[in-house]
Amino acid sequence: MAALPKRIIKETERLAREPVPGINAVPHEDNLRYFDVSIHGPQGSPYEGGIFKLELFLPDDYPMTPPKIRFLTKIYYPNIDKLGRICLDVLKSNWSPALQIRTILLSIQALLGAPNPDDPLAPDVAKRWKEDQEGAIATAKEWTRTHAMT
Amino acid sequence: MPPTTHHPLDPSLPHSNSIEPDNDDIAALNIPGSSSSLSSSNIYKHLRTPSTSSLNIRHPIDLRAITYDGAVDENLVCPICRCPLVDPVLTECDHIFCRSCIDDALSNTKLCPIDRSPLDSDGVGRAPKMVHNQLDSLKAKCPRCTSSFARSMLENHLEKYCLEANVKCPGIHSERYCKEVVKRRMSGRGCLHYPVDCPDCKETLLLVEMEEHREDSCNEKLKACEHCGVDILRCKESEHHKECPDIIRPCKWVEYGCQHEAKRKDLHLHTDDCNFKLVGPMADTLKKEISILRSDMRSLAETNHLQERRIKFLESGQRASDRPMELMDLSLANLPESANTEPLDSGHEYLLSLLESQQSRLSQLSNELADFQGKNTMMLLNETIPIKNELSELRSTQQVTCMHVRWLMRFRMQENQRRFGGSPGPGPSGSPDGGSGSDLPFSRRLSDSAPRDIITKL
Repeated sequence: MAALPKRIIKETERLAREPVPGINAVPHEDNLRYFDVSIHGPQGSPYEGGIFKLELFLPDDYPMTPPKIRFLTKIYYPNIDKLGRICLDVLKSNWSPALQIRTILLSIQALLGAPNPDDPLAPDVAKRWKEDQEGAIATAKEWTRTHAMT
Repeated sequence: MPPTTHHPLDPSLPHSNSIEPDNDDIAALNIPGSSSSLSSSNIYKHLRTPSTSSLNIRHPIDLRAITYDGAVDENLVCPICRCPLVDPVLTECDHIFCRSCIDDALSNTKLCPIDRSPLDSDGVGRAPKMVHNQLDSLKAKCPRCTSSFARSMLENHLEKYCLEANVKCPGIHSERYCKEVVKRRMSGRGCLHYPVDCPDCKETLLLVEMEEHREDSCNEKLKACEHCGVDILRCKESEHHKECPDIIRPCKWVEYGCQHEAKRKDLHLHTDDCNFKLVGPMADTLKKEISILRSDMRSLAETNHLQERRIKFLESGQRASDRPMELMDLSLANLPESANTEPLDSGHEYLLSLLESQQSRLSQLSNELADFQGKNTMMLLNETIPIKNELSELRSTQQVTCMHVRWLMRFRMQENQRRFGGSPGPGPSGSPDGGSGSDLPFSRRLSDSAPRDIITKL
């Protein structure tokens, strides 16, 4: 494997030195491009109190291409599908090489506080979110309790 | 091998030459200041000898890989590579990037990475001179000698002055035409690339490596003991420390709490004053006793374990003997359960247990054989007694019948005698005469005379 670019080393160092509140990202010892991430559910959202695990992988041409991120913890959310894939523009077409791991993780944390059922990745969840928002939020809380609080 | 490959930094990186346009003028300004900080007069010596400058090797530097002094102003850091800008360029939308970084980004998408406004390579121009100057004056550490210089001076420093940087071996000018490289500080001694023996350990090495070898790795080199000053072999250092008279050692009762420490040769003076001189020996004996007791306990536990195992075997053996004989199997697989499930420490013990179980099985079998034998004898006895009884009964009936027959015979004889009167006794010759053909019953009776004789004889 090619040597790790200076930028990845710097980002990793900074994540360890000045961690973002409520976000934790640690690279694997044997693969420094692969991170174990945990995000605390934002306050005031149905995910409050839960700790959600994600995996993050920096492809070879990072930062020219976006990092690959996936939820590992089950979550009831209209823009995250069963496999944990996230519908977030900056992870796809709107990626910019000036974005960093920490900014992306902050975006994801903010996304949890602002579900967008009009651009769904999980159509059944989005449908329920639109038709029965209270019930959907109750389910989201229930899932948070069972899957993200252990 | 090209000499530049000795450099730890990758010379093939594309941006290493990017500050070249500015190199000359800045270098011209800065040389007096930076060279005075080097504080070594032999730099000038090298410069004076005409041959040394021809030995210089170019040292291209990756400006992203070097270590900068302190934190670099965030405004001088490229938002893409997160390093101090290298060959900075300014976009139409007033954002600064490294030239190579923005080229890479624009090859993916024609948008500014910061504000996402449309941008292509025509909209990118050279950054203001001031930015270049600020970047060039950033202090960074020389990757070889770790002293700090303005980053624009580093290549020049490595190429011409750094004592730890490589230069061509002076032997390149000799008839040997040596193609190796050597550190600048060694280059004044001519070509050092010939083998010599280490005076201490006799290992053969190139002369150029000898200094490092004798300093760091040679085991046969003498070294003064840091405590007593005696010269010792480096490899014998730890052994010497065990007996060095000047090394600081704790009192021998340290484990019981004495805090005293002194040089080994002075420790005996402390022995008499030590507060622990009475308690220490006592504690020692107690410790010994405890260890003896512990070992006793261990052996007892072992025997206990063994006996428990035996008991288990015996119990399982008894259980097995309750089963009918036909179900028993002598194969090893059918060992008593306890022997199989019990975790055994070693193969040895396993074999032992096998043996034991076989023994118990054997004794059980012999017991059962004895039982069987007893049962058989009893059965035989039981069957023969009625037969014997019957026999004796038969014998007695036969005797009774005998008596009856004899009585009847005598009775018949008497009757015959009466019937024939004074006839001179029955004779075989006379009986056919007596009544042949006329009186059959008689003749038949006469023929019975022989058995009668036998009976009378009896």
